[in-house]
Amino acid sequence: MAVSLAVEVETSDHELMIAVRAGEIARLGELFERYHRPLYGFFVHLTNQTSVSEDLVQIVFYRILKYRHTYRDEGKFSAWIYHLARKVAADHFRKHAAAPAATDPLDLHNHPDSGPSPAATAATADDLTLLRTALARLPLDHREVLVLSRLQNVEHKEIARLLDTSVGAVKVRVHRALKELRALYFKIRREDAA
Amino acid sequence: MNCQRVQDCFIEYQDGTLAPDESAGVRTHLASCPSCQREWAALQEITRKLDQLPAAEPGPRLRENFYAMLETHQRAADSRSPFTFAKGRLEAFFAALLPARPSLQFAGALALLAGGLLAGARFLPPRPDPAATSAQAEIAALRARVDDMSQLVSYSLLQQKSTSERLQTVLAAMELKSPDRQVLTELVGTLAFDPSVNVRLSAVEALAPHAQDRLVRAGLVSALSRESAPLVQLAMIEVLGSVHETAAAPVFEHFSRDETADKNVREAARRALAALYNPNPASGQPPAQANQPTPVLS
Repeated sequence: MAVSLAVEVETSDHELMIAVRAGEIARLGELFERYHRPLYGFFVHLTNQTSVSEDLVQIVFYRILKYRHTYRDEGKFSAWIYHLARKVAADHFRKHAAAPAATDPLDLHNHPDSGPSPAATAATADDLTLLRTALARLPLDHREVLVLSRLQNVEHKEIARLLDTSVGAVKVRVHRALKELRALYFKIRREDAA
Repeated sequence: MNCQRVQDCFIEYQDGTLAPDESAGVRTHLASCPSCQREWAALQEITRKLDQLPAAEPGPRLRENFYAMLETHQRAADSRSPFTFAKGRLEAFFAALLPARPSLQFAGALALLAGGLLAGARFLPPRPDPAATSAQAEIAALRARVDDMSQLVSYSLLQQKSTSERLQTVLAAMELKSPDRQVLTELVGTLAFDPSVNVRLSAVEALAPHAQDRLVRAGLVSALSRESAPLVQLAMIEVLGSVHETAAAPVFEHFSRDETADKNVREAARRALAALYNPNPASGQPPAQANQPTPVLS
């Protein structure tokens, strides 16, 4: 399930974006095909809301079009798009006051059934719900660093640049976030069991 | 390696990015430390759970919306009408021209307002209200009347001034290169009515350069008929003769026959009369009047 962001296909992300900047707007379609899933995953894990996440992905691509002239020649596209995505997410959280809503059962229902088998799904569905709930309860900065490093497979070096901090600081934050997530996970399981 | 140091390395150990010797150190420590073992197992477990989170798959709506937006942008970019293009250019021009900072914008607006007020006060005359207009008309009429009066007064003053003062006035008029009609009229008036021979003589002198003027000639002719002083009579006859004033012929005739008149005056009148009827081209003065009687004296 890991989505590699570093894949270099025929035309690099950077070359595509330079073309878009030069006015070949249609080339953005190729970048959309490469990035909309990881972006959607980023927003879903951050907000825990599927339809909201679709809107946020759309906003990111809208901003790419709108600010395409600000894309720099020496830029790295994946860094730029996550930079925009973080801002879009921050705007969303500011608008919708503080913490993200807890998992909406209807939303969970909307999650495509990607489990291996019906039998296994029954056993793990609760587990995944639990994990999502725990993730949603993490402070935003911890949740974000976990989503980026564990779910988006963004390199620590790149996360450090994105968050404007050192690689060491990112690793420390990832470690703390994992420990916190685990603690939350077991806490919620105990609460559910009780 | 102590426990803290080992646990700090867990993330890199997990990633496989730890240096080989440090990696070996972590491994040997883990083999002998139950607490670090528990910690490591817990980290692995939660990481595995996270990795099991299915990749979220967006619905078809996302792609549809994106391509709809792309098409809209493409169309807008393709069909930028000349109008929107010009509008964009215009906006860009003003954006470049005008300050972007609100404080500067405010200062600019204030400056414009002050400039407008100043310009208005400086260049726009206050709109005259009807009352003021009628008052101004009245003032103009009054002033005209006063001007007339002052003229009258100046005339009467001229009459009452001493001889030397009147003489001075005439001499001053003589100085003028191109005296206007009013000055000439005054001089003619002086010539006709001034009681002083000297003043009248000066007036003739002052009028002599303007003898071509019809008004002056008419004035001279009428003044000559009533003139009593031979000196002035002589001067006037000379001036009128020099411009071949035919209208003066009867007066000349009268003087030339008048036995009571001064002998010199009679002589001068006779000469002038002869010159009138028999102009002498050698004198360099062509006959001013074309309608004079044909000089057929044999």
